[in-house]
Amino acid sequence: MKGFWIRLVRRLAGGLIMVLAVSSFTFFLVHFMPGNPVQTKLNTLLESGTPPLQAEAQVRSMYGFVPHTPLYVQYFHYIWQILHLNLGQSISYAGVPVLHLLLKAMPWTVIMVLTGLFISFIIGIAAGVVASVNRNSRMGDGLTMLSTFLHGIPQFILALGLAYLFTTVFRVFPFGAPYNAAITPGWSAAFLASLARHAVLPIAAYAISGFGGWALAMRASVSSVLGDDYILAAELRGVTPAIRLRYIARNAILPLFTILTLSVGFMFGGSIFIETIFDYPGLGYMINSALAARDYPLMDGAFLMITLAVIIANIVADLLYTVLDPRIQRI
Amino acid sequence: MAMANSPLPNQPSVSWRPPSFSTIAWKALTRKPGRMVGLGILLFYILMAIFGPMLYPANLPVNPANIYAPPSWAHPLGTDFEGTDVLALILTGSRYVLYSAGLAAFFTVSIGALLGLVSGYFRGWPETVVMRIADFFLTVPGFPLLVVLSTVWDFGNPVSMGLVLGLTGWAPLARAVRSQTLSLRERGFVEAARGLGLSRAEIIWSEIFPNTAPYVAMHFLLAITGSIYLEVGLFFLGVVPFSTNNWGVMLNLAFSQAGAMYSTRALPYLLSPLFCIMSLTFGIVLFLGAVDEMLNPRLRRV
Amino acid sequence: MSADLSTTSEAMKSSHIVCSVRNLTVTYQTDAGDFPALHNVNLDIQQNQITAVIGESGSGKSTLALAMLNGIALPGRVTGGTISLSQHGDVLALRGKALRRLRGPVVGTVFQASQNAMNPLRRIGKQILDLGRSHGYKDPRILLREAQLLAKKMSMDPDRVLTAYPHQLSGGMRQRLGIIMALVLHPEILLLDEPTTALDLLTQSAVLQIIQSIHRERQLTTLLITHDMGVVAEVADTVVVLYAGRVMEEGRTAAVLRHPGHPYTRALIKAIPRLTGSLDQARPLEGSPPDLTMIPRQGCVFRQRCRYRMALCDNESPSLKQLEDGHLTACHWEGQSDD
Repeated sequence: MKGFWIRLVRRLAGGLIMVLAVSSFTFFLVHFMPGNPVQTKLNTLLESGTPPLQAEAQVRSMYGFVPHTPLYVQYFHYIWQILHLNLGQSISYAGVPVLHLLLKAMPWTVIMVLTGLFISFIIGIAAGVVASVNRNSRMGDGLTMLSTFLHGIPQFILALGLAYLFTTVFRVFPFGAPYNAAITPGWSAAFLASLARHAVLPIAAYAISGFGGWALAMRASVSSVLGDDYILAAELRGVTPAIRLRYIARNAILPLFTILTLSVGFMFGGSIFIETIFDYPGLGYMINSALAARDYPLMDGAFLMITLAVIIANIVADLLYTVLDPRIQRI
Repeated sequence: MAMANSPLPNQPSVSWRPPSFSTIAWKALTRKPGRMVGLGILLFYILMAIFGPMLYPANLPVNPANIYAPPSWAHPLGTDFEGTDVLALILTGSRYVLYSAGLAAFFTVSIGALLGLVSGYFRGWPETVVMRIADFFLTVPGFPLLVVLSTVWDFGNPVSMGLVLGLTGWAPLARAVRSQTLSLRERGFVEAARGLGLSRAEIIWSEIFPNTAPYVAMHFLLAITGSIYLEVGLFFLGVVPFSTNNWGVMLNLAFSQAGAMYSTRALPYLLSPLFCIMSLTFGIVLFLGAVDEMLNPRLRRV
Repeated sequence: MSADLSTTSEAMKSSHIVCSVRNLTVTYQTDAGDFPALHNVNLDIQQNQITAVIGESGSGKSTLALAMLNGIALPGRVTGGTISLSQHGDVLALRGKALRRLRGPVVGTVFQASQNAMNPLRRIGKQILDLGRSHGYKDPRILLREAQLLAKKMSMDPDRVLTAYPHQLSGGMRQRLGIIMALVLHPEILLLDEPTTALDLLTQSAVLQIIQSIHRERQLTTLLITHDMGVVAEVADTVVVLYAGRVMEEGRTAAVLRHPGHPYTRALIKAIPRLTGSLDQARPLEGSPPDLTMIPRQGCVFRQRCRYRMALCDNESPSLKQLEDGHLTACHWEGQSDD
């Protein structure tokens, strides 16, 4: 168990370095933006008659640094602020701390992505097992074709298709917004029902776009495990079909945990499309609308948050893998 | 019959000449009918990208009196919100999509293969540096990264679009090529080449690279489909300024400005670019199996 | 050997036959046609004896092992013959639960390279418990206690090896545990498929010793599949030589080793490397081991590699003839061998 903690600490350190790398990236991004928004903001403030000190303070609280100090001072100031969870202030929501906006947006994205991931994982794994076991039957072929097809559809096309089909052609689900604005938010049944109805399509979009990949990966994995000697050996030792299936499933699922890390990144990346198309006020929606409003602190913050979610998910997937695979040396 | 310990090698009893590449390619293509279909689709869109824009004037005519016309002989795919022929939009828009996706795949594969080969062969600090950078690109979700990058880099024209997609997308290939290189550099024929005094560049280029080439070629095709998704996605979101007409712009206008989402009249306008993107990528995926078999001797059947 | 021949043999009559294989034919169906992996194979396994089946790769010996468990899977198919066990009838007719009850409690199998024959994600003790649950033990822990005793007998630390994952053990330990996994269910027949192939020489001899002592102690009936004539010479009471899916020779091990009747058997004996004497004396057999697709459809299957080939061999397949009591061979050549 000691090895596990060492590994955890190592992974956390790696994650921290990634966070620093991404923050450095966003710092230089804003810095090298054409027309330097920070300088521009400062200039407009000064021109409008704001006293220099007050103008500087205002710019610093927005972007985390002031343009005319040396670059390295600006940089360390910025990183220091981020390490203190100070992501600056939004421009489009004047004066509201970015972190505040992000914390409000984050649950939408995280819940959506995780629900979608969970559903697509379960269905995909089941479909992969069925497709692999019935490899030479029509059902197996059909499932494989379906998985390949769904895996090939870009997320935004899928989301657009779902939205168009189920809100415009067949008016089964409401379009846009996470809940019906006429209902006051709270723990009332009406509100929760509205929440669920509005969530069906976006979650379906996440789940369907992830499903094919899982099914294909699981199918390949099961096929390879089925060819392994220990499965035949277990059969020839007369184990029950249930135990045999458990041997297969456990060995086949294991390699999928490495894919899980990639898939989490893919899902969070897709939040921009799905949230934009379904008007869902999560992190992806925020990046896109902040970009349109030239609200760079908010955009950077949302980007940092999405990356952070992926980093955390990667660490979890990696640790899960070490716990589940005894062959990994726990040094 | 799982016995590997036979004392004798299994020698072929008749002299045998390997079939030529064209024979192999033809066999791989014709083994499954889907592969020919895939190749057909691919060629169809390449021809469309080359000749499509030549069929129409630079500025497509608008006709406010005929918006969202249903499909007819004059407008096989109907018209858009300005009364412009949707077929014309599709044909003229194909060039940007294919050209920049091809460039993106080219940059992805060049950067990825080069960095993978170098870091795998030289080990030491080049490997460390390259792999750390690769880790960054593998962790950060690609599409949000592109969105954020669009604020500093105008990738409206196909070349800079291709370049930015290459610069952000090389990491998976570099990692795969590196691990192949790591095992290849210990093999006998590479040792022999070192012994013969070949320079390192020569060894990498003529001994190691050919062995990774099949994988790289496969990745090239996959990178084309991936790039199409990304670039169309960027235009769809409206992140990149619309300098030309292309399928992503069509989707964006249909979704956000023309109100196609709320009206079934605009169905052909919305579906046409969707259908093109889907059929093109499926053509590539179908064709991929044939390429895999052509380049990978283990998949060939005797 | 055929049934009427066995009645003439005094030695055979005296001991009880546990399993008899009759006219077993197994065919592999491929795109290029059907190929017999086993062709009219007859074989008797006698109680309390170690019967060895020897052959190169492609001889059909692994197919035979699979057939003993009714485990031939597509593209292979049993196209003829029976395998009857004295108390359980024809193995090849068993299906479902009856078949599952055969595998383990009746025929216990030790696989080649046991490390690949164990679930890598499950502790070995747990896998033994799985066996108990599969075979209807009310308290599967009985098997675990049995395994502990056996492990101790094989000079391993029982607590360590039974709580270990397969990858944590050495090849020799895994092979011993493979034997334990077969023995805990008290099989009537112990089937050993190349039990020493993946091991180094010292471990090989240790494992062979364990096999022999367990065999004696538990009065087992053992079928040993191998490609190594040295192993046969060391442990087997009876040997059956298989080539291209056909029985070439069979008899008491001592008799076969002393007076091999078939040129192929002689070549196998020559191929045993000896610790004393020069390496040149160990001669590999010339030519390729049989490839299923290359087996002649007519005549003797071995003739392409045989130095005594005659015109007769091209047309007529030799049948098993008695050389001496219980020692049979399938060869047309009747002259003296010069090697």
